[in-house]
Amino acid sequence: MAHAKEAEIFNRDESKVNWHDKALWFVRNKRDKAGSNVKGWEELRNLASAIKANVLSNLDNYLVQFEENAKKNGVHVHWAANAEEHNKIVHSILSKHKVEKVVKSKSMLTEECHLNPYLEANGIEVVDTDLGERIVQLAKEPPSHIVLPAIHKTKEEVDVLFQEHLNTKPSNGDPQYLTSEARKHLREKFLKADAAITGVNFAVADTGGVVVCTNEGNADMGTHLAKVHIACMGMEKIIPQEKHLGVFLRLLARSATGQLITTYSSHFNKPAPGTEMHIVIVDNGRTKQLSRDDFRASLHCIRCGACMNTCPIYRRSGGHSYKTTIPGPIGSILSPGIDLKKNSSLPFASTLCGSCSDVCPVKINIHEQLYQWRQIITKEVKQPVVKKSVLKITGRVLANSKMYGFMGKSARFMLKHMPRFMIYSKLNAWGKARELPKVKDGNFDEWYKKRQKNE
Amino acid sequence: MKVGLFIPCYINQLYPQVGVATLELLEKLGVEVDYPMGQTCCGQPLGNSGYEEDSKGACQLFVENFKAYDYIVGPSGSCVYHVKKHFDILEQTDAVKKVRNNTYELCQFIYKVLGRTDIGASFPFKVGIHKSCHGLRGLRLGSCSERMDDPYSTEESLLKEVKSLELKTLNRADECCGFGGTFSVFEEAISVKMGKDRIQDHIDSDVEVITGADHSCLMHLEGLINRNNQPLKVMHIAEILNSTM
Amino acid sequence: MVILMSGIKKDKKMSSRDSILKAVKNNKPELLPLPEIDLDVFNEDINLLETFIKSVELVGGRAKVLNSISDLDNEIKALYPNAKQIVSSVKESDFGTVSISKDTDPHSLETIDLAIIQGEFGVAENGAVWISENDFSIRVLPFITNDLILVISKDAICLHLHDAYKLISKRERTFGLFVAGPSKTADIEQCLVIGAHGAVSLTVMVV
Repeated sequence: MAHAKEAEIFNRDESKVNWHDKALWFVRNKRDKAGSNVKGWEELRNLASAIKANVLSNLDNYLVQFEENAKKNGVHVHWAANAEEHNKIVHSILSKHKVEKVVKSKSMLTEECHLNPYLEANGIEVVDTDLGERIVQLAKEPPSHIVLPAIHKTKEEVDVLFQEHLNTKPSNGDPQYLTSEARKHLREKFLKADAAITGVNFAVADTGGVVVCTNEGNADMGTHLAKVHIACMGMEKIIPQEKHLGVFLRLLARSATGQLITTYSSHFNKPAPGTEMHIVIVDNGRTKQLSRDDFRASLHCIRCGACMNTCPIYRRSGGHSYKTTIPGPIGSILSPGIDLKKNSSLPFASTLCGSCSDVCPVKINIHEQLYQWRQIITKEVKQPVVKKSVLKITGRVLANSKMYGFMGKSARFMLKHMPRFMIYSKLNAWGKARELPKVKDGNFDEWYKKRQKNE
Repeated sequence: MKVGLFIPCYINQLYPQVGVATLELLEKLGVEVDYPMGQTCCGQPLGNSGYEEDSKGACQLFVENFKAYDYIVGPSGSCVYHVKKHFDILEQTDAVKKVRNNTYELCQFIYKVLGRTDIGASFPFKVGIHKSCHGLRGLRLGSCSERMDDPYSTEESLLKEVKSLELKTLNRADECCGFGGTFSVFEEAISVKMGKDRIQDHIDSDVEVITGADHSCLMHLEGLINRNNQPLKVMHIAEILNSTM
Repeated sequence: MVILMSGIKKDKKMSSRDSILKAVKNNKPELLPLPEIDLDVFNEDINLLETFIKSVELVGGRAKVLNSISDLDNEIKALYPNAKQIVSSVKESDFGTVSISKDTDPHSLETIDLAIIQGEFGVAENGAVWISENDFSIRVLPFITNDLILVISKDAICLHLHDAYKLISKRERTFGLFVAGPSKTADIEQCLVIGAHGAVSLTVMVV
């Protein structure tokens, strides 16, 4: 149980767990407030979900349409079947332009493809320019959240990190000071970059344009100063028409951080004169996920992170406990599709409380998909013998009234009469921090039979 | 109207008083209730653990036990949800369809089918509701904090009519308690932490009795409360609605 | 294991483009309808100007209502008395000190203190203003400037983004954006800090 182990380690520092939980719950609350101020919020979610379902059912045609329109606008379009091909394409564009320094704004796709180490191995400097991403890059850690990459770090930790890497003065973690120092540090990087890489929030089939949303302005600072802009997108980022942005942009920032809209929602259609724009469309397992009826809807995701903020497990185990590029509930339904064995503990890192599905702006039935993955995992991934045999036997007992009656009685007998040290042993995970129920003299069956007799 | 009483396995074995309260309450409301002997379990623990296939026998037995009734009523939201939602693994015979359609959680049955809210109960305590997830987001017993629908709550509607009962508002209206069936043992650390946090919210909100429509969550919370000697009592909502203190 | 194997099998002769498209075609479900957006669900009878001003403040900007466009320069002077390097693309403002053209090197704008840009319209629900490349000739300008002023007409405020996309549906598509407030970040412990990489303040002049 990989996630459980990581979660247990995270929980050894309870005050940090409380801090992490509160920080994310605060964001979830802001989201609730923002959503409640929108007339027709639930209808907006219905629309977004239905548009995405249409997109997936017509994806090949939309992709071709998008490519055609983008090319007409003078944009170069590339296709990558997997992460390796994506990285090669990006590198070849950079090589052609003899690029040495790249600035990159947030893109979960390039994280997924491990683009940074690939480019660095080829002698290219890649600087993540989103403040949170820069923090984790300096700390040599992966992001722990897709919208708030450094949410696991305290301001004091950032202070120490910046002292080491940006020569800042100790400030007791003053966010204002630390941000202004990061601004200066990254301003230099923007001015010297030869190329800018961005993600894509939405790619519009009927215009061939892409939309990139940031609060910091880092995507735009990068792309408008450099000669080359490479936008990397998962193929599911397509939406049919520009007017559909009205639906998605109303949902995205509100769901993500409780903002009304991100500060900048930039619509890129044509490259600026004298510059080049490239779009890399990436599959990397998405067509596989598309083939799975039960899990296809996971491709609706617009990467708002709301399911992470609401997830009571994520909030108390931290993003790193999932050991995947995309952590939290959405990650736990995407990741088994990529590597079932490696990620087989993730669908079990949930109580199936369903909060993720109700918070999701595109109405992905996340908790139902977690349930479905569990059914597959127990069949296809080797399970602990004890767990498997106990549950299999339970199945047989529950299908048989007499056997069940006997087992119920003996279990109650054991609970009641076994010495405490035997019940509360290491083998009993329940009893580590919890008491077992106090056993009554009889069960309901017996009470009912007695009552029937007396009547 | 013939009602089959569905007493989930863990209530039958560990909390018979909840079964008793449920039966008495329904009878008080003038319902003809029958308890089919030989019922075991809805199969939820298996399904949620990924062994849905192995639960088919239990599910089939459930259908056999209950197919003759107009309504099937049980005091556990998650078990009822399992019947309604996950019995899709059985062949959808008329009997299976009938059972899935007519199974109700106790509060939902009283409120929706019987159309009652005032049951003549009294309970002079400060009460906090634990809105169990499967009841809330599965059966939609109430509006959840994630959605922007008009607010409503089946449990609150019933408890508001209980004399002398003071209903308390929590800081987090409907966060999961961390039980989650086998989650409670396989993800023990988080499960316990979630439970502790829920309990603290009730304590901070001046609650004396935690109640809810799903005793599995309450069992988890009670286990923590008893271990930590906290000043809270845990009671199933059927016990409160059946109370005339 | 069928479920795990049904992805793309790459044919050596086929390009990635064609193999991806082929896999999509094979794996996609039956066509589902594209829904219509029923605006009745979202329309509200509210004061657009008031709502817009409130939204601009919520996103960290400030809105000033001017009685006449002739007040513009005085207002700017009062707000930014120390600004020296100023680019103005608003024809009613004589405040500009630096002129730019399509040939200006964007890097040279690093020293700009203030940019004054004509916005096309505002969006009441979120305080965003739509600006397009035609309004500021060098794309990096609204980001690289230290402070930013956007000017819109008070008649050019729409209710929500659905209306906004109608308003820009016929534009020449090069580069354009919604700007809502100054650049900001909350990446350090969720503490909101105004002034990340883009402009550190945003003022919307509503005329």
